[in-house]
Amino acid sequence: MTKKSEGANEDQVKEPKRKVVPVKSQKEAKEVKSSEEEEDLLLDSGTDSDYDGDSLSGSLNSDDFDSEDDDEVVDSENGEEEDDEGSEQREVAEESDSSEDEVAPRNTVGDVPLEWYKDEKHIGYDITGKKITKKEKQDKLDSFLATMDDSKNWRKVYDEYNDEEVELTKEESKLIRRMLKGEAPHADFDPYAPYVDWFKWDDAIHPLSSAPEPKRRFIPSKWEVKKVVKLVRAIRKGLIKFDKPEEEPNVYLLWGDDSASDQKSKHLTYIPPPKLKLPGHEESYNPSLEYIPSEEEKASYELMYEEDRPNFIPKRFTSLRSIPAYENALKESFDRCLDLYLCPRVRKKRINIDPESLKPKLPSRKDLRPYPNSCYLEYKGHTGPVTSISTELSGQWIASGSTDGSVRIWEVETGRCLKVWQFDEAVKCVAWNPLPDFPILAVAMGVDLFFLNTELGTDEEQQRIEELLRLDNLPELDEAAAAIAKWLPDEKYRGIKIRHFKNLSYIDWHPRGDYLSAVMPGGETRGVVIHQLLAHSTKRLPIKMRGLPVCTLFHPNHRGIFIIATKKYVRVYNLHKNGEPIKKLETGLREISSMAIHPGGDNLVVGSKEGKMCWFDMDLSSKPYKILKNHPKDITNVGFHRSYPLFASCSEDSTAYVFHGKVYSDLNENPLIVPLEILRGHSSKGGVLDCKFHPRQPWLFTAGGDSVIKLYCH
Amino acid sequence: MDGEGEDASKVIHVKFVTKLYPPFKAPVSSVVIPSNVTRLGLSSIVNSLLTLEKPEAFDFLIDGELIRMSLEQFLLAKGISAERTLEIEYIRAVAPRKEEKPSLHDDWVSAVDGSSPRFILTGCYDGLGRIWSSPGSCTHILEGHTGAISSVAFVNSQGGESVTVATASKDRTLRLFKVDTAESGDSTTRVRAYKILRGHKASVQSVVAEKHGSMVCSSSWDCTINLWNTDESESELSVSGKKRKGNNQAEEAQLEGEAVTTFVGHTQCVSSVVWPEEDVIYSCSWDHSVRRWDVPTGKDTLNLYCGKALNTVDVGGEGSALVAGGGSDPVLRVWDPRKPGTSAPVFQFSSHSSWISACKWHESSWFHLLSASYDGKIMLWDLRTAWPLSVIDTHKDKVLCADWWKGDSVVSGGADSNLRISSGISIS
Repeated sequence: MTKKSEGANEDQVKEPKRKVVPVKSQKEAKEVKSSEEEEDLLLDSGTDSDYDGDSLSGSLNSDDFDSEDDDEVVDSENGEEEDDEGSEQREVAEESDSSEDEVAPRNTVGDVPLEWYKDEKHIGYDITGKKITKKEKQDKLDSFLATMDDSKNWRKVYDEYNDEEVELTKEESKLIRRMLKGEAPHADFDPYAPYVDWFKWDDAIHPLSSAPEPKRRFIPSKWEVKKVVKLVRAIRKGLIKFDKPEEEPNVYLLWGDDSASDQKSKHLTYIPPPKLKLPGHEESYNPSLEYIPSEEEKASYELMYEEDRPNFIPKRFTSLRSIPAYENALKESFDRCLDLYLCPRVRKKRINIDPESLKPKLPSRKDLRPYPNSCYLEYKGHTGPVTSISTELSGQWIASGSTDGSVRIWEVETGRCLKVWQFDEAVKCVAWNPLPDFPILAVAMGVDLFFLNTELGTDEEQQRIEELLRLDNLPELDEAAAAIAKWLPDEKYRGIKIRHFKNLSYIDWHPRGDYLSAVMPGGETRGVVIHQLLAHSTKRLPIKMRGLPVCTLFHPNHRGIFIIATKKYVRVYNLHKNGEPIKKLETGLREISSMAIHPGGDNLVVGSKEGKMCWFDMDLSSKPYKILKNHPKDITNVGFHRSYPLFASCSEDSTAYVFHGKVYSDLNENPLIVPLEILRGHSSKGGVLDCKFHPRQPWLFTAGGDSVIKLYCH
Repeated sequence: MDGEGEDASKVIHVKFVTKLYPPFKAPVSSVVIPSNVTRLGLSSIVNSLLTLEKPEAFDFLIDGELIRMSLEQFLLAKGISAERTLEIEYIRAVAPRKEEKPSLHDDWVSAVDGSSPRFILTGCYDGLGRIWSSPGSCTHILEGHTGAISSVAFVNSQGGESVTVATASKDRTLRLFKVDTAESGDSTTRVRAYKILRGHKASVQSVVAEKHGSMVCSSSWDCTINLWNTDESESELSVSGKKRKGNNQAEEAQLEGEAVTTFVGHTQCVSSVVWPEEDVIYSCSWDHSVRRWDVPTGKDTLNLYCGKALNTVDVGGEGSALVAGGGSDPVLRVWDPRKPGTSAPVFQFSSHSSWISACKWHESSWFHLLSASYDGKIMLWDLRTAWPLSVIDTHKDKVLCADWWKGDSVVSGGADSNLRISSGISIS
């Protein structure tokens, strides 16, 4: 199809040509007809017609040249034919186009002086490399006679290069004659031929541009004048200064640091040598006596290390003549060589970073006061390591349990021991009931859990507690719970004893003070039970335990939420919904040792046996928000303050760390954790086993393996 | 030339003046003394001027400031010219000259009151109050409390025949005792309370009596301050019939009292109260504040924030207006509530090394006060110098209470179960 359209286009183009050239229209029309008839050959016929058209137009436009061309072709053909026959014809053949390149000369020596061959028998070489021998020289007389006889002699010219005589033809002589006259060499050339105007004027009625030349072409430019005036004014005012030869300052800093100025600019890595100290009076050959060291001083120099010894000791000579050769010359040149040898070839780029700037920006400790920092009170009386302490809600008393089997209650303000219960086993954990009007102490040791009456309440409270702790008839427990725990009365201290099937390690009261969770690491899946004190009952958790439980927590605000830490994970359960798991926190720790929850309930601190402490933002992620690696040894306990933004950790390295841990109510802001203080003071034996904050003051109680409880105040 | 110049620079013309009475009055004349003398040197100079048969220690004041370094340094530090004649006032040194026999108790001595010149009243952790007429001789034992006594106070010691005392205890009660002083003899009399004041819900920490003895004020761990009547009024006799506490064989009736007024405002344990004037009570608390209460209205008119839990407070000094307090740090602070707009202490004394358990102003001097601390030391302070005048280091354990007695002695009790009396302190 495209071919067809092309053909059609060409047809359209050709039609006006037909009109212009009526002479050849018949032939054209024929071809067009044939192309219309045979569609297959359209392209060929099209191209043919195209070519024809061109040649036609050419022939139409330049008839004269055509004829010339034909002549020339004939001439050249003639020339070629005659070339083999003889050189004379060839000269003729060169008539039309006199370039020598077309006909190779017989001689091939090239453009060299011909006198080189003057004494030779040959004049050169032909194209095959054979020598062309000279013609024999004719006798002068003979040649004269020959010339006189020959009427055409005047037309003969001797060609020295080819060593032959050339006879000019009549045409050639005519051509020369015309050239001498100053006419065109060709006889056919008509210098007065009529002018053929190629431009078609007939359809153009307007000239190319009829605009008159603008006036500005004839008057000087106004803007140039302005510019020049401006420059002239600037020059007059002195704003433009013409280049003057710069005067070089003829003074220079004689004692200045010449190394810095010009040397530096020449070399990128130029290291200026250290400046030498200017010589003083002591370097004189004859210094004043006060410069000369005494014998004792010289002896003391000998005792110094070589590095500290002064490298110049003034000496005195009576005259310049008596100065000996410099004794260290050889040594110094050797040192110089050593310096060059050991000099680093690479300039080391040292980055100067202030190590302080790499520290994270933390608020100053002064602004975060109050926090516990110094120990003023000690509670002494235990004879074994104090394993656990617990504070009463008002902050008037603390309870402590020790491996010597005693549980003691102390008065906080004086450090007086108020009450002692003596047991046979090492006390593992003590916990004061969180209710203010219910001063009961829960004590875990071995397989037993005791509820003890502290007798600190008012009379009515006392009465209530006594009633509660009187176990008249043993409570009936369901089968699962009975296998774990058994409620017994304790005659010795008029309390309640709950005997478990495994050793207890941790107890924790619910904030409402009724429930108490007990942890038995050996109990595996039955390792956590919850006792209810008012109802005298025990419940097994409806939770499938994974891993050994370490400690448990009741959520401070949500009643049913229960947190269990196993050795590697912390899991959160909802006890109201039959122990449905809510969350699992991945600590990444090897072994969890303790756990504490922020009173707001959303943040958790977990201490581990490798000395790391993890802060979890439970809303944020199940990964730790921050890991604090402070203790070189096991963390034994961690704790939050109830009201101040403080938390602490204590460790077997016998220190306790106090941190500022502020949780913002704005959920977008991350908790601010700032380490505040390292509390030392416990002897290295046994470390610090427990730490608890005073419930109302920014004070920290620490229980040490050295059987002392310390109170750190702000 | 040089030697003379040095001598001249090291010599000061001084004039010793005093307010003391004749045996200690030195002749008023200018004396030339070397400038590098210390307090001891000055004291020996004055002694030589006085020609006393027994040497006496003196303290020296220049422009109302006690000298605690060499005279030269003092003048340099204060910028006083050494060229004019200096007027040095001397007073007898405030230091105990005699240590009385300790009075042994059965348990820690937790409270002492020396406001009566005839007796010393002590409270003990064994729940008994004791009245001592002289060091070592206990005349009365006040019994009845079931918990440790935390504070004691003379309610009315002016009466010739009988003296009324109040005790506060950790068993949440206060008891009022009437002690018949006419009884004499070596045997100690056991006294039971004539009135039991119940109402506090937690340990009572402090008790103090009104000047005339008609009321007592107590503070407690339950964050309240209660006012009680001390008289044996008829209205309360009816109450007494209902409850009888203690041994039933005792014939005399024990009254029971209820609080007249309760001041609520502190948020933590109110550790100490003082009642310097009829209608003003000062209290300090573990909530880091000192408050002044207006008795008729029961409102707090002043609230000084301290920053530390406070254990003790006392009012005295210039115009009985300065408040001294100490607590859970080794600093004894003195505030001036008359200074408007600031709760910063005007004086801070920090030579102790542990909590301060007691502080008392001297009853007649504007400058002297004592402080007792858990580091086992009692320090006597003068507002005119930052160093303690003297340190009484007789206790072997924590000092829990201390008071002035008779104006020239310090009585103190501590965790070594001893009441110690240091006497012979001359405060003019």
